[in-house]
Amino acid sequence: MNPQVPNPNRVLVIDDSDSIHKLVIARLRPEGLEVIGEFDGERGIERAVADQPDVILLDIGLPNVDGFEVCRRLKEHPSTRNIPIIFLTGTADTESKVRGLDLGAVDYVTKPFDQVELRARVRAALRTKRLQDILEQQSFLDGLTGLWNRSYLDRRLESELNVARRYGRPLTLVLADVDHFKRVNDSLGHLFGDIVLQGIAEGLRAYARRSDIVARYGGEEFAILLTDTNLRSAVHVSERLRMSAEGRHFEARSEIVGVTASFGVACSEEIGPTLTPEELIRAADQALYASKDAGRNCVHVYRNGELLLTTGDPGVLGN
Amino acid sequence: MDPIRSSYEADPDMLEIVCDFARELPARVAKLEALLAARAFAELQTLAHQLKGAGGGYGFTPITDVAAQLEQALKSGAPEPAIKDCTERLCETLRAVVVPEQP
Repeated sequence: MNPQVPNPNRVLVIDDSDSIHKLVIARLRPEGLEVIGEFDGERGIERAVADQPDVILLDIGLPNVDGFEVCRRLKEHPSTRNIPIIFLTGTADTESKVRGLDLGAVDYVTKPFDQVELRARVRAALRTKRLQDILEQQSFLDGLTGLWNRSYLDRRLESELNVARRYGRPLTLVLADVDHFKRVNDSLGHLFGDIVLQGIAEGLRAYARRSDIVARYGGEEFAILLTDTNLRSAVHVSERLRMSAEGRHFEARSEIVGVTASFGVACSEEIGPTLTPEELIRAADQALYASKDAGRNCVHVYRNGELLLTTGDPGVLGN
Repeated sequence: MDPIRSSYEADPDMLEIVCDFARELPARVAKLEALLAARAFAELQTLAHQLKGAGGGYGFTPITDVAAQLEQALKSGAPEPAIKDCTERLCETLRAVVVPEQP
């Protein structure tokens, strides 16, 4: 998966009055916004978690859980913390406004609301949200290659491993390391080394599948997370990635330099149900080192504690 | 009392929901009267609060004004005759609302 454009803007209204829902829909739809709604606090929180709106319009006087409590909980929950909340309420006293804003709301609009003002305030909240999303995404991108960075991969690995365990699906991790990178760097310079890394990254991204998560894991090391993919399929993908590196040539001064990479593959199915992210990384790392030891530019897999060379011998995994 | 018309009647985005809102008002009047008779003041305050918030949004500023007076009276614990008076005034206001004609 590559960095994506955010979804079309969606507004969640949490208000106990149907008249307000209809009114907000009529006033915000001409802005091209999708409006969804809930009538009480608990359901509002559930909906926010499930549907990830871009802005929440929140009433204060709600049955059961009041708007302040809803705001507090939304700001506590990791998946809703960054969604801007605008209080939309008939309660106009200063104390309530201060309380709402101090709980983390970005704005406070009183009912009856002026439609032009509401639209402008929603637009402003969306602008801030968009910048925040971009910042957050940037913090998960590798500056040199544009791939995901290690901290993103570590997060995804953990969550994908949970999914894989829960649904009994295989998850495979591929580690790749550029061969003799230090030699390239030392003889042709760091700038050239950077160009090599960018080229290898481009190849990995081009030859990985859409659902694969390609990251720069460190220095000259890359990691590719293959969801819902068993060892055998992962070997096919890895072989393709290996060839994408092998087929690339870089021009340095007057010479053409070819670079290769070594690969290590480990699948959650081969390790067991209590698998941790660290164990999967360790297994893939062992396979990667086996590829280095075997002369580089090849793929090894970790299977049942064994390290098997698959390059040039795809039948080694059996049929 | 003079008839009350929505200031958004001419807004095509609004006409349909203004009609819906206006058509539901007789039911709100009945509810206000019932709550007053039952002396269910907390619920009466909630309803007044909602009408205050919605009325102006539908182009009926007088509803917001009168509902705000009722809410304030209930919030400040005004004597019952004052509350009765405010509730009746709100009912009268709601009854004066004209349902716009849809083309």
